[in-house]
Amino acid sequence: MAIKSKIAGSQYEDKIHKIGRTTGIIALILIFVVPALISIRYSIFPPISNLMIGMLTISMIQIPICIAEVLTYTPMLGSGGSYLAFVSGNLTNLKIPCAAMCMESAEVKPSSKEGDIISTISIAVSTLVTGTIIIIGVIAIVPLTPILSSPVIAPAFENILPALFGGLGAYWILKQWKLAVVPLSVTVIISMFVAVQPAVLIPICGAVSIGAARWMYKKGWVKEV
Amino acid sequence: MESYLNIANSSFIFKIGAVVVAFVFIQAIILLRAAWKEGLRIGIDKKVLWDTVKSSAVFSVVPSLPILISLIAMAPVLGVPFPWIRLSIIGSAPYELMSANIGAQSMGVSGLGGAGYTAEVFANSMWVMSVGIIWGLLICVLFLKKIQNKMGTLKQKDSAWTAILISALYFGMLSVFIGQPVVEGGVPLATTITGGAIMIGLTYLIKKYEIKWLNNFALAISMIGAMGLSIFYTNIM
Repeated sequence: MAIKSKIAGSQYEDKIHKIGRTTGIIALILIFVVPALISIRYSIFPPISNLMIGMLTISMIQIPICIAEVLTYTPMLGSGGSYLAFVSGNLTNLKIPCAAMCMESAEVKPSSKEGDIISTISIAVSTLVTGTIIIIGVIAIVPLTPILSSPVIAPAFENILPALFGGLGAYWILKQWKLAVVPLSVTVIISMFVAVQPAVLIPICGAVSIGAARWMYKKGWVKEV
Repeated sequence: MESYLNIANSSFIFKIGAVVVAFVFIQAIILLRAAWKEGLRIGIDKKVLWDTVKSSAVFSVVPSLPILISLIAMAPVLGVPFPWIRLSIIGSAPYELMSANIGAQSMGVSGLGGAGYTAEVFANSMWVMSVGIIWGLLICVLFLKKIQNKMGTLKQKDSAWTAILISALYFGMLSVFIGQPVVEGGVPLATTITGGAIMIGLTYLIKKYEIKWLNNFALAISMIGAMGLSIFYTNIM
């Protein structure tokens, strides 16, 4: 029975990778189909040399950032969640906090079978909700514009990340403060001297954080919670 | 020549957008179904699965609004439907603005909406935004299975360390978003502290009075509470 369920378990993993890869490839094709169709329909083609310069510039910025993102986030999100999150986007401000809190409430661990399932469900629902809200926004853009860009509520949206991560951070720091000391100090020290984009700083902090955690783990200072 | 904004807001691009967004929804539904079925099969309580749905749905509403705001910001230059497509598939507001700018600059135009932002420049922005966005997904399609298998092997060797490793990566991300407001001070710092304080208060209440359902909404409540107070802080600081 145990063996049977293990086989069925890895069958699930295989199925998720199959679905994830197939839909991922379709998504990649769609991404290119969009500008291609528009260019053809209206016969607007930018000169190839200018186009190449733009594509090279953006790719040189994006490739290292994306490698770091995949390595940083996928172990936590699991397979199903990762395929979804890397198609629908908005990882740090939506998908990761959402999946992390759901796994915590459900009392399952990231990178476990149960964790993968909860993470996938949570990211799928989040994707559907965000998608629906954007559709409503596109349809009702005229009446919504004055409300959303009202100067009265502007500070609330400017501070959405501090508001989100204040709560998220407090929860996890209370739980495992030892893991926070080194990466938090590194962020504070670096940010005191230079303004670094989060996309660049996160992999640096992730690497430092792993190093510190490994050291504390060997010393027996941190345990799995 | 036709103004490029007529093209950028054409019903043709809206139709393409509808197809793309429908695809993103279908992918989410397929994986949701697969995970749901497997969850029930391995014995996760149905209530836990539903709690996950409720909690994710409620939490996701407010962080989606800034995406709408960035759509409104991009609309005068790029039209409505193309930013809609870009923000629905992988994109995020800062990336779209940066890449659209690179698209304009590589055409010799100073930036988005700058003098000489023609249909050709719009097309270039569009292509650059699309090419730059593929990398994360492409890496997932090619290597995610390998990465997850590696994590599996690591877990078999030392499961306690694997759990800590994942937590450490997560703390790396948290630290950046907490540490930056700490250095910035002012309203962002006050908002961060408020979010933290509300969360700690809620966690205490949940434990003391065993209000389990509140667990599902604690993060949404602390975030919205801190956002509300940030308006107050901005007015008094």
